[in-house]
Amino acid sequence: MKPPKFEYHAPRTVDEALALLGRYGGDAKVLAGGQSLMPLLNFRLARPAALVDLNRIPSLAFIEESGGGVRLGAMTRQRTIEFSPVIAQRVPLLKEATRWVGHLPIRTRGTVGGSIAHADPSAEYPAVLTALEGEVVARGAKGERVIKAADLFQTYLTTNLTPDEILTEVRLPAMAAGTGYALEEFARRHGDFAIIGIAAVVVRDGQRCKTARLATAGAGPVPVRLRAAEEILERDGLGEAAIDAAARKATELVDPDSDIHGSADYRRHLTGVLTKRALVRAMGVARG
Amino acid sequence: MTDPRSVGSAALPRLVGARVARREDPRLLTGQGSYVDDHRPARLLYAAFLRSPHAHARIVSIDASAALALSGVTAVLTGEEIARASKPVRAASKTPAVKVTSFPPLALGKVRHVGEAVAMVAAESRYVAEDAAERIVVEYAPLPVVTDMEGALEAASPLVHEEAGTNLLVAREFARGDVDAALASAAVVVRERFRFHRHTAICMENRGCLAEYATGSGTLTLRSSAQCPGIVRDVLSDLLDLPENRIRVVAEDVGGGFGAKASLYPEEIATCVMARRLGRPVKWIGDRREDLLATSHAWDEIIEAELGLDRDGAIVGLRALVTADVGAYSIYPWTAAIEPVQTISFLPGPYRVPTYRGRTRGVATCKTPLGPYRGVGRPPAVFVIEGLMDRAARRLGLDPTEIRLRNFIRDEDFPYKSPSGIVWDRSSFTGSLLRAREALGYDAVRAEQTQARAAGRWLGIGVASYVELTGIGSAIPVSPGMPIATGTEAATIRFDPAGKVTAVFGVASHGQGLETTLAQIVADEVGVPIEDIRVVHGDTALSPYGTGTYASRSLVLAGGAAIMAGRAVREKMLVIAGHLLEADPADLVPADGRLAVRGMPDRSVTVREIARAAYTGAKQLPKGLEPGLEATRFYDPYYGTASNATHVAVVEVDRATCQVSVLRYLVVEDCGRMVNPLIVDGQVHGGVAQGLGAALLEEIVHDDHGQLLSGTLMDYVVPSACEVPWMEVHHLETPSPVTLGGFRGMGEGGTIGAPAAIANAVADALAPLGVEVAELPATPERIFRLVARATR
Ligand SMILES: Cc1cc2nc3c(=O)[nH]c(=O)nc-3n(C[C@H](O)[C@H](O)[C@H](O)COP(=O)(O)OP(=O)(O)OC[C@H]3O[C@@H](n4cnc5c(N)ncnc54)[C@H](O)[C@@H]3O)c2cc1C
Repeated sequence: MKPPKFEYHAPRTVDEALALLGRYGGDAKVLAGGQSLMPLLNFRLARPAALVDLNRIPSLAFIEESGGGVRLGAMTRQRTIEFSPVIAQRVPLLKEATRWVGHLPIRTRGTVGGSIAHADPSAEYPAVLTALEGEVVARGAKGERVIKAADLFQTYLTTNLTPDEILTEVRLPAMAAGTGYALEEFARRHGDFAIIGIAAVVVRDGQRCKTARLATAGAGPVPVRLRAAEEILERDGLGEAAIDAAARKATELVDPDSDIHGSADYRRHLTGVLTKRALVRAMGVARG
Repeated sequence: MTDPRSVGSAALPRLVGARVARREDPRLLTGQGSYVDDHRPARLLYAAFLRSPHAHARIVSIDASAALALSGVTAVLTGEEIARASKPVRAASKTPAVKVTSFPPLALGKVRHVGEAVAMVAAESRYVAEDAAERIVVEYAPLPVVTDMEGALEAASPLVHEEAGTNLLVAREFARGDVDAALASAAVVVRERFRFHRHTAICMENRGCLAEYATGSGTLTLRSSAQCPGIVRDVLSDLLDLPENRIRVVAEDVGGGFGAKASLYPEEIATCVMARRLGRPVKWIGDRREDLLATSHAWDEIIEAELGLDRDGAIVGLRALVTADVGAYSIYPWTAAIEPVQTISFLPGPYRVPTYRGRTRGVATCKTPLGPYRGVGRPPAVFVIEGLMDRAARRLGLDPTEIRLRNFIRDEDFPYKSPSGIVWDRSSFTGSLLRAREALGYDAVRAEQTQARAAGRWLGIGVASYVELTGIGSAIPVSPGMPIATGTEAATIRFDPAGKVTAVFGVASHGQGLETTLAQIVADEVGVPIEDIRVVHGDTALSPYGTGTYASRSLVLAGGAAIMAGRAVREKMLVIAGHLLEADPADLVPADGRLAVRGMPDRSVTVREIARAAYTGAKQLPKGLEPGLEATRFYDPYYGTASNATHVAVVEVDRATCQVSVLRYLVVEDCGRMVNPLIVDGQVHGGVAQGLGAALLEEIVHDDHGQLLSGTLMDYVVPSACEVPWMEVHHLETPSPVTLGGFRGMGEGGTIGAPAAIANAVADALAPLGVEVAELPATPERIFRLVARATR
C-alpha cells in the first residue's frame, strides 16, 4: 500500500494551480485533505502523474455570509465547519451533518470541497448540498462557472467537473430562522459512511408545510432528491399520516445497490425509517 | 509432574493478587516500544510480495526481468527458487484424522487463494519494491474455484490439494454412549443448523519480520511480530537446514496476536531465505490489505446439532456434525484440525452430557488458511450448546438460568471426564451463574423486559456459561494430533551481584501484561521489590527452551516455572544469609529488603550483600556451596487446568433498523488465583470486545470466485470504542488444585462467552416473533430478514 511515483506541486494561488493542471493535461489530481485521495493512491487505484496540493492556497479557506447565503471556500476543513458560528446560525443542517463525517482526525484534515468533489454517494455533504439546493463554483482554464447541485453529481465518485477544473467555492442558501431540519443516518459503526442517510428540511406555516426538502445518502449512485415525497408534505402538511405517507413514498423513489453491509431491500426499508425519523425531528425544531 | 504442594510458599506473598499497574505501559504508550519496524540495520533491504489475484490457478510462467531492471531492485524470489533453499512446510499430525499437505513459502505450480504470496522483491525502499512487484509478469491459467465447503466434499469438486486426493483434510469423531437411542427416547429434542462465519483477528500491529544473516558466524536472526518465537526457531532450523543454535528468533514488543500470530507464516521463511541469499538484512512489514488477505482467518463453521432432554430438562444426549472451511492450507504447527476438532472437543460445555457423538470435517477451499484465533473452536461451540440450551428452555417452559443449573457438572462430580475426554478440575459453573444472576438483578431485569415488551420494545437477556481448557501440560497436545511438544515452559531467575534480578522466560508477551504479572510472582518468591526485577521474554537466544504464548498458557506455565525457579534461588539465599549471619537458615525472616534472624532485627543482611557474597566465591560461602545466584526450572502442569465464566448480555433490537444495542454486559469469571485483577479485567474487556465483534459486526466475505469482499477496515467492521459497552466484571477465585500457584489461564475467555451471550440475548428479544438466531454475526441485514420472514 505505497503509491506509485508522482510529482508533487504546492502552488500558492488558484491561478498557479490551474496552470499546473493545464500542464499535465488531465493527468494531475488536486490534493485537498487527502482523506479519500491518499487511500486511493496507496491502493494504486489512482495513478496521477502529479498532485497539485491546494493546502497552501490561503484564499481557498473561508466561511462568509453573502446576500442570502453562505459561501465556503473549498479548502475549509470539516472541523472548522463543525464549530463555525456562521454555519450554526445560517446553515445548521450542515453543522449537524458534519458530526456524521468520519472521526475527529478525518474532519480535521478533510475539506468541504474535497468531500463534494469526491462525490462518494454515501457521504453527507453531497446530500446536504442537494437538500439545500446549493451550488458550487468551479474555475478552469476557460474561466469560472457555477454548477447547481442537481447538475453536479453524475454517478459514483463522478461529478461534471473536468480534470482541469478546481472546485473553489460551495454556496448554500441560508436557512430562514425557524426552518426545521435534521440529518438521520444509519451506519453499522460510529463514524462509518452511511448505509443510508436522509437530510430533511421543512418550512412550516402552522400545520401546513410551505417547503419540504429531502435528500439521500447511500441510496444509489448519486444523492437522490425525494421530490414526490416532499410533495406529499407540501400538500398534506406535517401530520403523522402525511409523514408516514412521505416515508412510504421515499422507499419507492430510491433504487439502492446491494453490498456486503446491506441489501437493496434493507436500504429501501431504511430509507423509509430514516425519512420518518428525520421529518419527525425536523418538525420538532421547526417554528412558524 | 510437579505436585503443587511440594514447593512450599512464597517469601513475601504480597504482590500476587494486587492491582499492580502494567509496567510495560509507560514504554508502549510513549512510543518507546521496540517493534519489528523500529529496527533499521545498516544495508537494509525492504521486501514486498506479489500476491495472487486468483483464488485457484495454475502458474504457467513468471517473468521478473522488468522488475529486476528497475533501479533500486536487488532481487526477486519465486516459488521454484525458494524451493531450492527451503523445504515446503508440512504441518504433520500423529493422527490419521488429518491429511498432511504442503504449504510452500511461495506458490509452487499453482495458487490456492487470493492473496497467496507468489513472488518476493527486495529493494532499496518499500515503494520501489511495490513498483517492482507490479512489473513481474505472471501468466495464470485459471482453475475452477472451490469456495463452498459443503460443495467441496462432493465427488465432482475440483481438488485444492491433489496430493490429498480429497478436500476433506480433517475427519474426526468423539463419542460416548448410545446417543441415537438417547435422542430417540428423549422427551424433547431441539435441533438447529448453526452458521458461524469467517473472521480474522485484526492486530494493531500487522505482521512483519526482519531477517539478518551473519555470513561470518553463519547465524540467522529473525525479528518477527510473532507469539511463538520458540516454535518459529525450531521449524526454521528444519526448513532451512541450519542448527537451532545458529538461529535466534526475537519477538520483542508485539502489537497484539490473538492467536493469529501463533503460526509460522510464508513471509517469515521467504524473508530468511532472501537475507541468507543476499547477505543483507531484509525487512517485510505487512500492510492492512495483506493482513486481511494473508493472516489466518478463523471459525467459519456450519454446525448441525441436536440436543435431547428428559421432561425435567436434564440432558440425555448431544449429537453434532461440524463442517469447517479450513481454507487453502494446513497451518503450521497447529494443522487444519485445530479449529474443527476443538469445536467438537468443547461442544458439551460445562454440562453433564451422558451420551455424545460429535463428528467434524475440515474442508479445504480456495480461501485464506484457517488458524487459531482467541478462543479456538470454543466461540462456535459455546454459541451452539448455549443456543441449544435456550431453545430447550423455551420448549420446556424453563428459565434459561434454571435449565443450566439443572445440567451443570456439580461440585461432587469433579474431576469430571467430558465425553470428548477432557478432564475438568474443580470449577465454579454453578457458582458463576448464581453470582451473575445476583449481580445483574436478574429478576428485576426480567420484570423490566416484561414491561418493555408490553410497550412494544424488543429487549432480551442472554446467558452463556462456558468452560475452557487452559495451561495445557504435556499430557495432551495443544492442537489435536500435533507432534510438537507444548507442555512445558521454563524460567531463569538470576541475581546480579548488586542484588537486582533478571527473570527470563521462553513465553512472549504481546499485550497480556506478562512483564507485570510474572514480575509480581518473582517478587513474591525471591523477596525483592518489583522495581528490582527485569522481565525478559520473547528472545530465543536469551531464554531457556520454550515455545511461546498461546492457548491461555503463559501465566500458568511460565508462572509455575517462576515459582519453582524463585524458590530454588530463595533457598540458596537463605543458606548464604545463614552463613553470613552465623544463624540457622530456618530462623531467618524477610524484613524490608533484608533477611534477619527471627526476633533480632539488628542481625540481618541485605539482599545485595547476599548476592555479592554469592559471586565472591568460597571465602563468603558455606563450604561446598557452588557460587552464583540463579536457577532455571522447567514446569509441566501435565493435564492443565480450566477456567470458566458466565456472561450475561442485555440487548435491545431497534424495531425499525434491526440494529442491536448492548445495554448491559456482565461477566462473572473464575481464573483461579488472580495475580493481578487489573490485568484480568483488561483481558476480559478485550476478549468481550472481540466476541462482540464476532456476534454483531465482523465478517470475512468472499464472492463465488473466492475474491475477498471485506478487504479493508471499512468493509471488515471491527468494533470501535463506541460499539463496546461498559462491562461489569466480577471475579470468583477457585484456586486450581492442580497448578502451581493455583492459577488458571484466562486470555481467551471473553471471546468465548460473548458471541453466545449476545446471540441468546438477541434471540430472547425476538422470542415473541418466534425467531431464533442461528447465524453470526447477527447483522442488521440478517435480523431484518429474520423479522421480515417471521412477520410476513
Ligand atoms: C476512516 C474514514 C472515514 C470517513 N468517513 C466519512 C463519512 O462518514 N462521511 C463522509 O462524508 N466522508 C467520510 N470520509 C471521507 C472524508 O470526509 C474526506 O475528507 C472526503 O471524502 C474528501 O475530502 P478531502 O478534503 O480529504 O479530499 P481529498 O481526499 O484530498 O480529495 C478527494 C478527491 O476530490 C478531489 N478534490 C479535492 N478537492 C478538490 C477541489 N477543490 N476541486 C476539485 N477536485 C477536488 C481530489 O482530486 C480527489 O479526487 C472518511 C474518510 C476516512 C479515511
